[in-house]
Formats: sequence, structure tokens, C-alpha cells
Amino acid sequence: MVPEGQAEVEATVRAVLRDVLGLDAARAAAFDAATPLFGALPELDSMAVAGVLTELEDRLGITIEDDEVDGDMLETFGALTRFAAHKALV
Amino acid sequence: MIERYDWAGGREAMLRFGPADGPLVLFAMPLFEEANRTRAFVVSMLRALAGQGIASLLPDLPGTGESLTELEEVSASDWTEAFSAASGSRPCHVAALRGGCLIAGNVPALSRWYFAPATGETVVRDLIRARQIADREEGGRFDADEADRDGPPIELAGNRVPRPLLRALREAEPDEMPPCRIVRLDGDPHTADRHVPGTPLWRRSEPDNDPALAALLAEDLAAWIERCAS
Repeated sequence: MVPEGQAEVEATVRAVLRDVLGLDAARAAAFDAATPLFGALPELDSMAVAGVLTELEDRLGITIEDDEVDGDMLETFGALTRFAAHKALV
Repeated sequence: MIERYDWAGGREAMLRFGPADGPLVLFAMPLFEEANRTRAFVVSMLRALAGQGIASLLPDLPGTGESLTELEEVSASDWTEAFSAASGSRPCHVAALRGGCLIAGNVPALSRWYFAPATGETVVRDLIRARQIADREEGGRFDADEADRDGPPIELAGNRVPRPLLRALREAEPDEMPPCRIVRLDGDPHTADRHVPGTPLWRRSEPDNDPALAALLAEDLAAWIERCAS
């Protein structure tokens, strides 16, 4: 089942970051909208960013275009969740 | 036990697990960097399978692992031919993880068992996307259509990958010729015969293992092989 609500999208984004970056559950659970991601998490290198985006595509049933990928969408947990919700909840 | 197998293009290494007789599984690793990330996990799974009395072979593909062949000289058909040759003439069941499912179709197997099968399009897009993001960080721009043009191998996630190999992989789909069983992770919304709890270890930048998931998958595969035999 592809997630259908805002809370489910946020839970999916959290799970993807935890799974791809290998974060422990407590650390991922503590992420809030203002938690900085790209540049702040050493685990988030270019391969990991690609992994996060592809996992989000798979789990949310969305397609992320190359020109949509920029520093802003990856800046914080809130920004990434907003981007994913915008794509997934139409 | 480390052994060698011969195929038309040379000789490659492979690991053998389990008893000398009984059912045999030929296992296809994920492709490129994902193979390094999941090797310990796959070995755990095949050891658990050996504990259930099932033997297995884990071949290195040409251009990977200890291979004397350079990856930049490899074609997609080299991979399918080498993988097929690894079992010799002994009937076997094929099992594969992620992109390994793309090269497992050439074997006249008794059955197929795939965990988290990936399409070629996904595998290639992942590699290209990582390159695009890395280049952008350095102020450059990598054109995703580069693989469609003729030219030297493309540097992707630490590998120099030949363009014809990328193009062939991009078109490849897992061969789900029956009998075929598909197992996926809980978070994966694609259809499967079974979804299991766990995390995608092939995404981790540091190789990791999950012995509980390895044991669960070994049990699932052993039960599947027993069902196919009856």
C-alpha cells in the first residue's frame, strides 16, 4: 500500500532516512521539521541522497525529476517531508 | 570454500556453501556498489541455508570482486553467460537479490527466488542520480543522457562502467518465469508473495549485516525449494 495521508508520508520519510543512513530508531524519531539534513548529517553523501530519493519514489509511488532535486528540498526534515507530501498527496 | 569456475571469457572465483549433494542454489549478488554492501549479509543467509541441508554457489561476476577482467571490458551478456556457467551442468535453483535478478534469467533453473528484485531502470537511475548529485556539489552538471552517447566508460559510484552495459541493464527486467517466488521488505509497496520486516542493507554506505533477516530468508528459500520438489 502506498501511503495516503500527511502523517503516513512523514513516517515514510523518517523510515527512509533511518534505513538508508543507518540511524538508530531514537535518533530518527527525534527528527522534527527544523532538523537540518544535507550538510548536517555526515552520513548523507551523494550516494545516500540518491538512495533516499529512490527509496522515497519506491515507497510513495512518486517520480522525482532531476530538476526538482536541489539543496532546498534536502535542507531540513520538514522541507523534505513537504516536498514528498506535495508529490504523493495529489 | 573458495573455488573457481570457468566460463567462455575466463575464470572467476566463487564461494561454495553446504553439503556436496542435495538441492543446489545458485545465488546472484546485487550489482555494483550494492554487492559490497550486502556481501556479508548474503554469506550469512547462505550459511543459514547450508544449516538446512541446502548447498549454494556464490559466483563473482567478471569485472567484480577478485576478477582479472576489468569492469570496463564487460558486457551484460558476459554477466548472464558467466552466471549461467557457474553451476556447471548440475540442475539448480536460482536465487537473487536486487539487480542480481536481472542477470539470473539465462539459467535453465528448477525454480527462481528473488528478494527485493530491482528493475534495470532503477539500478541505472540510482547510479546516474548519485553522479548528478556529486557533480552538482562541485558546481558541475552531469547529463543523464550521457549513457546514450558513444564514448569511454562512465565513472559511477567508484566504478568505470561501459556505456553499452548501462544501456543493456537499463532495458533489463527480472525474469519471473514460473515457478518464481518474490519476497520484499515491509516498506516496499510492490506486489510480492511475502513481505518481511527489515531494512534495505543495499542502501547503507557502510556494509552491515542482519542475521535475523538472513535466517528468516534462508528458511523461506528452503521451504520454497522443498515445495518445488514435491
